[in-house]
Amino acid sequence: MLRYIARKAVGWFLMIAVATNLTYFLANAFLKPASNYTALRPPRTPAQINRSLAQFNLNPDKPILDRWWDWISGIVTHFDWGQSPTGGSVNEQVAYRIFVSGQLVIASTILSIVIGVGVGVYTASRQYKAGDRVWQGISVISFNTPSAVASLGVVLAAIWLNQSVGDTLLPVAGAQSPEVSGFWPVLGSRVMHAILPTISLTFISYAGYHLLQRSLLLDNINSDYVRTARSKGLTRQQAIYRHGLRTSIIPVATQVAFAMPALFTGAVITETVFAWHGMGEYFTKTISTNDVHGAVAVAAFGALMTAIGAILADLVVVALDPRIRVS
Amino acid sequence: MIEQRAVTTEPGTQRALLSVRDLKVAFPSEAGRVDAVRGVSFDLHRGKTLGIVGESGSGKSVTSMAVMGLLPEYASVTGEILLDGKNLLDLDDRRMSKVRGQQIGMIFQDPLSSLTPIFSIGAQIVESLQIHQDISSAAAWKRAVELLDLVGIPNPDRRAKGFPHEFSGGMRQRAVIAMAIANDPDLIIADEPTTALDVTVQAQILEVLKTAQRETGAAVIMITHDLGVVAGSADDVMVMYAGRPVEHAGVDELFAQPRMPYTIGLMGAIPRLDDRDRDALTPVPGTPPLLVDLPDACPFAARCPAVEDACRAAEPPLLTIGGAGTGAAHSAACRRAEEIEDGAIAGKPIFPVPAAREDRVADVPREERPKVLELSGVTKTFPLTKGGLLKRKVGTVFAVNGIDLDIREGETLGLVGESGCGKTTTLLEIMGLKPPEQGSIAVCGQDTAGLKRKQDIRAVRRDMQMVFQDPMGALDPRMTVFDILAEPLRAAGERDKKVLGTKVAELMELVGLDPEHRDRFPSAFSGGQRQRIGIARALSTKPRLLVLDEPVSALDVSVQAGVINLLNDLKAELGLSYLFVAHDLSVVCHISDRVAVMYLGRIVEIGDTDAVFDNPRHPYTQALLSAIPLPDPVAERTRERVLLAGDLPSPTDETPGCRFVSRCPLHTTLSDPQKERCRGVTPLLTDRGDPDHRDACHFAGTTTSVDN
Amino acid sequence: MPGAGTAPEEAPEIAEVLEPGATGGKRLSPTKLYVRRFARNRPALGGMILFVLLVLFSLFGRYLTHWNYEEADFTALSVAPGVGGHILGTNSAGNDVYAQLVHGLGRSLIIAVAVSLMTTAIAGLFGTTAAYFGGKVERAMLGFVHFLLILPSFLIIALVGTHYRGEWKILVVVLTLFGWMLTARVIWSLATSLREREYVMAARFMGVGAFRTIVRHLVPNIGSLLIVTFTLGVASTVQSETALSFIGFGVKQPDVSLGSMLADGQNTLSTAPWLFYMPAALVVLLTVAMALIGDGLRDALDPTSQSGGRA
Repeated sequence: MLRYIARKAVGWFLMIAVATNLTYFLANAFLKPASNYTALRPPRTPAQINRSLAQFNLNPDKPILDRWWDWISGIVTHFDWGQSPTGGSVNEQVAYRIFVSGQLVIASTILSIVIGVGVGVYTASRQYKAGDRVWQGISVISFNTPSAVASLGVVLAAIWLNQSVGDTLLPVAGAQSPEVSGFWPVLGSRVMHAILPTISLTFISYAGYHLLQRSLLLDNINSDYVRTARSKGLTRQQAIYRHGLRTSIIPVATQVAFAMPALFTGAVITETVFAWHGMGEYFTKTISTNDVHGAVAVAAFGALMTAIGAILADLVVVALDPRIRVS
Repeated sequence: MIEQRAVTTEPGTQRALLSVRDLKVAFPSEAGRVDAVRGVSFDLHRGKTLGIVGESGSGKSVTSMAVMGLLPEYASVTGEILLDGKNLLDLDDRRMSKVRGQQIGMIFQDPLSSLTPIFSIGAQIVESLQIHQDISSAAAWKRAVELLDLVGIPNPDRRAKGFPHEFSGGMRQRAVIAMAIANDPDLIIADEPTTALDVTVQAQILEVLKTAQRETGAAVIMITHDLGVVAGSADDVMVMYAGRPVEHAGVDELFAQPRMPYTIGLMGAIPRLDDRDRDALTPVPGTPPLLVDLPDACPFAARCPAVEDACRAAEPPLLTIGGAGTGAAHSAACRRAEEIEDGAIAGKPIFPVPAAREDRVADVPREERPKVLELSGVTKTFPLTKGGLLKRKVGTVFAVNGIDLDIREGETLGLVGESGCGKTTTLLEIMGLKPPEQGSIAVCGQDTAGLKRKQDIRAVRRDMQMVFQDPMGALDPRMTVFDILAEPLRAAGERDKKVLGTKVAELMELVGLDPEHRDRFPSAFSGGQRQRIGIARALSTKPRLLVLDEPVSALDVSVQAGVINLLNDLKAELGLSYLFVAHDLSVVCHISDRVAVMYLGRIVEIGDTDAVFDNPRHPYTQALLSAIPLPDPVAERTRERVLLAGDLPSPTDETPGCRFVSRCPLHTTLSDPQKERCRGVTPLLTDRGDPDHRDACHFAGTTTSVDN
Repeated sequence: MPGAGTAPEEAPEIAEVLEPGATGGKRLSPTKLYVRRFARNRPALGGMILFVLLVLFSLFGRYLTHWNYEEADFTALSVAPGVGGHILGTNSAGNDVYAQLVHGLGRSLIIAVAVSLMTTAIAGLFGTTAAYFGGKVERAMLGFVHFLLILPSFLIIALVGTHYRGEWKILVVVLTLFGWMLTARVIWSLATSLREREYVMAARFMGVGAFRTIVRHLVPNIGSLLIVTFTLGVASTVQSETALSFIGFGVKQPDVSLGSMLADGQNTLSTAPWLFYMPAALVVLLTVAMALIGDGLRDALDPTSQSGGRA
């Protein structure tokens, strides 16, 4: 088992390395870090700008391969992912932002699974009845709502709620209020701030689990072994829960493992709308500020998450499915 | 004097265990309301076995599902199903679940999918026990192990912890039987319990079912399409057609004196091991009607040679025909039942035997005819991998291990063996036209190792074509019959529309299809017709050799006979040679000139069909022949069976020795030095006087042949 | 298991009865059957009607106003719907929201349809080709797909998108280049089951060429899947395009798409909510309509569909 994971991990590591380096060259080709200095007053000469950029290994006059060598040596020797064009450390940013995004993503993933799988099971055992159709309708709409619309819709609703209460019940921007201090107040403030973005992320992601769980369970309900279970003396409901559900949960679990990493970067819009300084927001910021090193770090992070997700998915299947055993 | 009276209640003294009255089941469909079961009535007493026989779509499985209460909610079910006087149709799912598993146990057709893959076998049996009995888990587990032992699973202690995927098909079916009898049911319903299994395993399972019935004293409903299975296991037989019983009688009476033309046709259509002298089978023309908006007429009228105008005026009821016989009273749903005697009306057979065509090449001695296919020492291996995710090579599977055979012009070689014996692999090796790993393949004198250029390969392809097993899967559903038949011609370079048109029309006529239907899609044809299209396609390049992979095993019996006759006719008319791969020995014995029996990648016996079937020398051939159920209840009862133990092992290692050792009934009777020889020395094909009949057994001479 | 004895009754009899197999009798042509099944699915039919209306609106909606989407009315900045002859008001730059909406919908539609058409075509050919050849070719092709999948495609699209200042044709190209891999994988996994089909083997044994087999046998037999993929692809491309434009890496001024309109509306959510309502409504209508059509098609084209009528 361990050998299997190790072998897979090496393969993924190579893929991540290639993808990251490729992104480095692409980012260098498309992003112009110099534009961060052109609008500054007093205006600077191109030579001055390049000198400033040279401190951060971004000088466009230096051959790209030399720059790449410096950048990769920094990562390999100190795990230093470089600086932004204005001198901020990429490592610091990422470390902080992973934590911020993590709260949001983990909370909404757990909620989405609980709601999605629950609704999926509920609707599958009531196929084509009113409850099924209503939920189906809601989920089709939420599944197809662009996250921008969902997030802004939630903001609108919160604004309306706050206005009608006459107080800022649910804050619509930021991860916490800047003025609070102390453990409990900070925690409370964080929780309050997290409610709206979590709702909007959950709204767009639960439906995937619902629709998947429903269709898998429906496939299993008509399977031969559920019929056998009924012939043993289980009622239809019992047979579905004891035999159908257990088998159908396996692909859903795989789906969760795969969706987690996508959510990290997929939260781009939610974080932008709610002004959360997470990985998603970092992604847009690095590109709009021509931050080559930051953008590459985002890419590497995304690839790493995909790899972790894929390995997790394998582990989940092995744990749940006796048919697949790695010696 | 034959008197008729309507079937009412059984005049028997004791009340029947199960009594079904006027059961009707209908389903909605795109084409309209499908009346799948249209009035079934029967009584079944404790300890008795009722065989329900019919082809696909006859309503036999739907009937059993109605008894179990497992039909989908949208089905409309009417009538009465009385189990011990209680009408099951009045029960809701909750109350019905108390009956299922407790009073009725069921065994399904496909053991591969009927067990939950993620629970251990033992846990699934424990569940069936604990649903209906208040016993501790430990006691239930102990009982589960006992049950597994009862159904003949070796090492039940250990195997109970195993998961379904670790069991072979036969073993899974045993586990399903164990589940069905766990609560000592009064009634066991077996729905095609052996159809998905190999013939030697089928014999074992039927034996286990008999044990189960003996242990529980239950009544059994045995649903099958195989008249042989019924003949060996049933007390009463009900023949179903188009959703209705058309004949019902005691098993001896039914087989001796069938009164309904459909039953007679069915019996004439099966190829039989015990009657190999027949020249041709008697197919039943046409196909069963769609069960939508059936007119009030005999549903068999369109296919019945003895049809009269009155048959189309009203549907005949199932009427008792007085007369001799044990078991259930003989009843038949035919207006002319009383005229029918011995499958004939006024001395004329209802289904006349079609005349066989004269074989052109039969006169030339075998040795003088050219070889169209020759294999020598052909071997094909696969890497054996282990683990679901991490695939490691842990060994080599010798799927085909040194096969020698040849086919002469105008000759049919039947290649038989159970699933996994390597017959399909052999066939794919031949069709691939590539040099094999070891040995050589020559098609029409051309060694495949010498085929380098595209034109050469194409030329050989024209000489050898293939017919596939599944008539639906072998035809592209999105192409018209014309395109399907024209494809090989186009691949061979023919572009002229007119030439293609005439050739396609010729081909369709050759196989008995109407050329007018050339623009239809395959889905518009019945199974038998589709198989004819498949044959026509294979013939389009005028090949000399046809390779047939189980060409009739997916067809209903009444249709199968027509296809077999067609193949025999084509062979006689066109001088074709066939390599006929099949698992069904009765079909093979009917169509083949020579037979090769395969076991685990090797040929264990080869020779002239009559020689092999009359005087089987290899213990495996003997077991195979004796495992086949005969459609003759008298012969079935008196027959001595050679039951093989266990399943086909995997042909992994290449250690020397006979591969049949683990299951060989002869091996156990040998002395120790002889046993040593079996295990240590690989037996080669040797002839014993007759150079054409060879077997691969060290001690074949010491066995006596088994009568069948 | 190859060579296993297949019995005459593989499928449960219920299915056998439902499938009219014999000649004669009542048979529906496949097309008729599909249309009938689709039309019976009311949500799908609604989705279809909605989609047609949206297309008509994007084509002819501009004749209902005399404003051009690029034109700024400096006399009416951020006015509410109905003010100054602006049916749906104006944004902060004085652009007529209605005119922008018609244009933005058209832009989003054309991008989505073009991208989905091309990704489906690439994915279809790639998936079937990999499946047909199997072995080393298949492994190499799948490896390529996996590699593309791990590339940060969204980031690359954003990079290229910003570089070319939101030119929609460039957007179509990059969205296509990085959008076909998942579909190709799905199609490949389905096509592998086709590869084992006997009619494909038959074609091989008859000496039919690889390309011909792929085009004549494999592609038509996953045709229904391709249609469904295309429909759902439109919905998902609209989502991607909206997201890209929303964060400023997609369609940009002076061009307008539904996504860029949403970005406009974000800043004035409390002062001029109509700038958000209309594009939000249209984009949801569009994606939901496509999803409903896709689901309807999947049910209608699926031979094992359970959506039969009632007795």
